[in-house]
Amino acid sequence: MFAEYAWLIPIFPLIAFVIVGFLGNKLFKKAEGGAPIAIIMAAISCVLSLLVAYETLTTGEVYKASLEWMVVDGFTFNMGIYIDNLTALMLIVVSFIATLVVIYSVGYMHSEGEKKRRYYAIISLFIGVMLGLVLASNYLQMFIFWELVGLCSYLLIGFWNTKPSAASAAKKAFLVTRIGDIMLMLGLIIFFVGFKGNLDFDYIFNNVDLFTGGDSLLTLGTFLIFGGAIGKSAQFPLHDWLPDAMEGPTTVSALIHAATMVKAGVYLVARSYPVLIETPDTLIIIAAVGGFTALFAATMALNNTNIKRVLAYSTISQLGYMFLALGASGYLFAVSGDPNVGYMAGMSHLMNHAFFKALLFLSAGAVIHAVHTEDMMRMGGLSKKLKITSAVMLLGCISIAGIPPFSGFWSKDEILATVFETGAYNTGFYLLYAFGIIAAFITAFYMFRLWFLTFSGKPRDQEIYDHAHEAPKVMWIPLVILAVLAVGSGLAGILLGMEGTIEPVAYLSTMHIASGIDMIVDMFQHPLTYVSIIVAVLGIAVAYLMYYSKTIDPARISESKVGKKLGNVLLARYGFTAGYDLFGIKVIYGISKAVDWFDRNIIDGVVKLISLICTLVGKLLRFVQNGLVQTYASIVVVGVSLVVILLLAFGGMF
Amino acid sequence: MIPLEWFLCLSAILFVIGAVGVLTKRNAIIVLMCVELMLNAANINFVAFSSYTGGLTGQVFAVFAIAIAAAEVAVGLAIVMTLYKARDTVNVDEVKLLRW
Repeated sequence: MFAEYAWLIPIFPLIAFVIVGFLGNKLFKKAEGGAPIAIIMAAISCVLSLLVAYETLTTGEVYKASLEWMVVDGFTFNMGIYIDNLTALMLIVVSFIATLVVIYSVGYMHSEGEKKRRYYAIISLFIGVMLGLVLASNYLQMFIFWELVGLCSYLLIGFWNTKPSAASAAKKAFLVTRIGDIMLMLGLIIFFVGFKGNLDFDYIFNNVDLFTGGDSLLTLGTFLIFGGAIGKSAQFPLHDWLPDAMEGPTTVSALIHAATMVKAGVYLVARSYPVLIETPDTLIIIAAVGGFTALFAATMALNNTNIKRVLAYSTISQLGYMFLALGASGYLFAVSGDPNVGYMAGMSHLMNHAFFKALLFLSAGAVIHAVHTEDMMRMGGLSKKLKITSAVMLLGCISIAGIPPFSGFWSKDEILATVFETGAYNTGFYLLYAFGIIAAFITAFYMFRLWFLTFSGKPRDQEIYDHAHEAPKVMWIPLVILAVLAVGSGLAGILLGMEGTIEPVAYLSTMHIASGIDMIVDMFQHPLTYVSIIVAVLGIAVAYLMYYSKTIDPARISESKVGKKLGNVLLARYGFTAGYDLFGIKVIYGISKAVDWFDRNIIDGVVKLISLICTLVGKLLRFVQNGLVQTYASIVVVGVSLVVILLLAFGGMF
Repeated sequence: MIPLEWFLCLSAILFVIGAVGVLTKRNAIIVLMCVELMLNAANINFVAFSSYTGGLTGQVFAVFAIAIAAAEVAVGLAIVMTLYKARDTVNVDEVKLLRW
């Protein structure tokens, strides 16, 4: 009943975009650059989203509606709405966090002056197209919105466009994700050919066996689609843009580069799950990339001193967990045929992560707002000044570290349990489990390192400390709301049976849905659960010893020979940034120069040669026109005579 | 009756005299007169064939050609007149402004 109005959800923020974006600076000069409009529209679509999501999750019905968009050569393209439990989950996450972030922005962006209007316009556009992305009913429509969120990301990373680092970060984000987008497009072309021109989710998911072109082509198609997810969700080896994307305002980092847009890749893979389970090879790749990225990105957060960069690496790492969950769960289903909890674990991790990572980013934003620096080495002791911020950020840190009963624990533990279970069928997954466990340890460590460096101990920069102040109400109220969710969303999800509702269509409801309490009891009877808890506690303990009680001096590790080298490798992001630059400058620029040479000399050369010949011949022939009528007449007479003679001689007229 | 070939020979001789005159004479008036010779050579052919085949078409065509020749001479002489007024000469070799 609410789902019929779901098409309105993306419309409201788009209206806000049009009003704020096009109706002049003067109109909104006194009204925070259009913030009230953006907030109201986001809030309306949030309420509508929650109603639609509630309806879908309780009834469990899939709502689909579509209109014919265009017909080309007998192929019909549709535009429509497809709402199942996965869409519902995304709707909750996106619209809710978006609304909170826009409210928070009123405080955070207060001193931006005239640029505020641009900010609120683009962020409204982003909310609209992101909601459009999750509601899309076919791959083509999804791809259109997919590109639009990329555009918004580009515009917002480069919000401070006079800053060279921000401008180049925006370009980098756009170009690197473009590699993934091209792969996605190729994957869609394979799907388009294989499914005979029908890209509707509804058709494809029910007719995967009608794919023409064989298993290997389907595997290639799903792999290329995952390629799109790699780019958008910043997975190895296209992860390098996300840390740079932190050049944008912190609110943008929280909304786009932590909670929503980077989840689009995970959403794409989860959405394609019914196709993916037919191609186990791709699922192994997904799990391997996810597991490796989870560990790989976490290590880079170990010694970074920029508060937002640490959170960015953490985001990449957590996204890796989600891909690991989807890959392992799909593979397990493909080989064993039994439904498992991995998919739900991945999806609830998506939700939990959105809450606690948005919380962490917005708290970091409150800190940056207070001290005007992102360098943790110049903070310290801030918990006395920023009481609320430090408290909610601590909750976020505990949640991401995976301490029960905070939300991060439940989903992360289920993911690791699924991966371990899959190891029985393919021993490679034991390795991925090890990656996951080590990454969990590192995550707990660096999150608490971040918290201790920022909030505990003595101020390292007295001047900054003296000027620090608690964030205004409009900023800390969203933080508190997010903190409540970051603490409780995992447990509430399990107790309300949401874990059981979020299951893929492909399982055809053969899943044994345990009640929430049973699930929790099961979990705590499993020895692996204690492994994850111990690892998390260990990580926190090491961070405590190093950065709070100072029992272990961190400088002793970082100043030692090996430590210094290792630290430099991590700060250089394993040389990936340099590698990209090298690749870009040497290889691509080299090829460009060669192509340029070919164009200038060979292509242009041929054209120039032809024109040169024409001019020369013209120069010679123009002397024929000497202005004497009698010469012309002689030529005519000679010519006609010749024609007549030739006709008589060879024309066969006689 | 005079055979057809004689007429054709006469017209050929007239035509060649006219053509050579057009190509070699320097005086614009003589060039115009030579053009008349060529036209009349053609007229002789028309009339000869007309009488030889017994139709009237050739004679009608000759009358047309004479009319057009008259008009052409009028225009041509007018051009020569203005040329003489402007350049003080009727020598075609000296009139070669329109060239490369």
